[in-house]
Amino acid sequence: MKNIATFGLFILVASMALGGMTSNVSAQEDSPVLLKIAKRAQEQIHNQISADSSDKVKRLFEEGTKKVNALERALASDDAGSAKKYFLSAMKIFKELSIQLTTSDIVPDAATDSMSTAVRDPSNLLQRLQGYVDSLKTIAKKHNASINFSELDELFAKSKLQISDHQFALALETLHEIKETIVEVKKELHEEASIHESQRANEYAKKYLEQLDRLIEHAKKQGVADEIIEKLETAKENLSSADNPREIIKEIRKIMSIKDQFELTKNDRLESRVLQVEKTLSRLSQMDGVDQSVLDDAENILENIKRHLSESESDAANDLLRDLAKQLREINNSL
Amino acid sequence: MNPQIVPIQRIESFREDGMLFVRTDGILETMVKTPLIIAGLIVVALTMPIQSSFSSTRTLDLTLYSDGSAHIFTHLDIDPLEPDFEVNLFGSSVDNFVAVGENGFLLSSEIIRDKVTIDTLGSSTITIDYDIHDLISKEGRIWTFSVDSPIDYSLLMPSNSIIVGMNILPSNMDLVNDQTKLELSSGFSEINYIFGTTNPLITTNPTINPVQPTIDIFTLALIGVPIAAAITGAVIMIKRKQAKSLTVIQPEVTSKSNTDFLDPETIFSLRPLLREDDKEIIKFISENGGQALESELRKKFLQPRTTMWRAVKRLERQEIIEITKKDLQNLVKLKKEMEKEE
Repeated sequence: MKNIATFGLFILVASMALGGMTSNVSAQEDSPVLLKIAKRAQEQIHNQISADSSDKVKRLFEEGTKKVNALERALASDDAGSAKKYFLSAMKIFKELSIQLTTSDIVPDAATDSMSTAVRDPSNLLQRLQGYVDSLKTIAKKHNASINFSELDELFAKSKLQISDHQFALALETLHEIKETIVEVKKELHEEASIHESQRANEYAKKYLEQLDRLIEHAKKQGVADEIIEKLETAKENLSSADNPREIIKEIRKIMSIKDQFELTKNDRLESRVLQVEKTLSRLSQMDGVDQSVLDDAENILENIKRHLSESESDAANDLLRDLAKQLREINNSL
Repeated sequence: MNPQIVPIQRIESFREDGMLFVRTDGILETMVKTPLIIAGLIVVALTMPIQSSFSSTRTLDLTLYSDGSAHIFTHLDIDPLEPDFEVNLFGSSVDNFVAVGENGFLLSSEIIRDKVTIDTLGSSTITIDYDIHDLISKEGRIWTFSVDSPIDYSLLMPSNSIIVGMNILPSNMDLVNDQTKLELSSGFSEINYIFGTTNPLITTNPTINPVQPTIDIFTLALIGVPIAAAITGAVIMIKRKQAKSLTVIQPEVTSKSNTDFLDPETIFSLRPLLREDDKEIIKFISENGGQALESELRKKFLQPRTTMWRAVKRLERQEIIEITKKDLQNLVKLKKEMEKEE
């Protein structure tokens, strides 16, 4: 009987572990996509082959066409395995053909012109810099930083105009100017961000100290050696007196090292989830339409969870945390 | 340099009362009772969904430009207990790097070669944006994009580009503002493309169908996987019963012929506060040619999976070892060099 139960559970575990893999496999069975890619490649290569092309190129193209036809037939008969095989073979041949055409049969055409234009045209650089500056603008807004982006906007407008007039050399000069201006803007933004970073670091250190208190309580209850408790207490003092982000990170790394060294990481997972729940709670409290009494209840449950963690009652903390996370998810979904 | 695989060896039969070395089979029979195994399996079954929901889920979007550069956007869920977080970049030629925390605040970061350390300071999610010039090469008219992605990702091809070669199967294809967007699986991908004058996608196939997973295979897999697991389980149980009283099979040992790693004494001098049991692990790995599978360590030290995993992670944090994957198993290697602890 016991063996049967063990066996049943083994199957359950195995199916849970392997279950997720099946969807990935099935997701690859997208037949039309494979055919479209292969046919596009086939058509493109076909356009490049002329009567003057070498026999090798013509033979390879025939071979590639056969593979595409085989792919089509395999897809029609729902033979996914063969379809994959034919797709990969066809693409391998088309790659080989492209190399052949590049080295031997290359005919100057509009496509080549288009490519070389793309190399000279600094539109891509403009696009990337514009994207970067847009990110910086969003961040500046978030930090309430009064950074003037008007100069950059003007430079972008200028370079766009230059590119549309095909004055690529001038556009490159303008883009160089944009890069230099970005350096200045970034400097300003980093100064603004550092103020917020200090605040965030202090808040993080405060939360970590709370967690450390619980850890020390837990360690004492577990009968951990006084020497280790003393190390944790010292680390706690050092973290309390740390007053800049770099120092805070350094002190927390030291604490983590002590925890690792003496295997005091048992509750880390729960503590991480407590932090996440706290963040969700804080986010919900800033949203409209959330009943205050529900939030108060959630706060109380969170305090209970922390108490359980201090008192080494991990199972109780885990159960409460699971319920609370579910509750918050439901509130979030209902908004 | 190449690792040598020592073949599985059949050792002369031992009578149970004469055994010096306790085998796992013996432990199961003599020390661990069936209820304990059942309880353990229940715990594993219950914790599995929690683990997967808590782990770092990520999104990764790549945009290729026609000048051979690429833009990377990635979103990561991270542990809010960690003060900082190291991310592997897809190369070292990086421009316009921005890391933003969960509230949209700029995070400080330091890029060293192809790695970036971000001061997350308790943030539970981060988004990263950067441009990179290492992913695309060009030969003649052919551009080649190659990447080894740890997760599934989306790839937006440059405008007017036509794929002429690829070594992987996309799971989906879409059209975004005249650009082809592919959904690709994790692992190594190489895509060759050229630039064309027209977009054959529009002229030949105006509509792109979304992914239509083959239901038959999915259903088959759902039914087949538990059955396969059941059969495998039954075979293993039967074989164990047959084999335990007769022979002892020595585990496959991965050894390495080179000595391109630090010796235990050097490691101990650089890490004087190492635990005794960790020292034993280091000695064993060293004697095993500088590397060993985590499963080998468990067997050698008769430790449960979690205890050994913690020990290995502890050594990794102290930068003594590095963990890589080999045949879906953790391969633990001693590092070639270490810095002295502060």
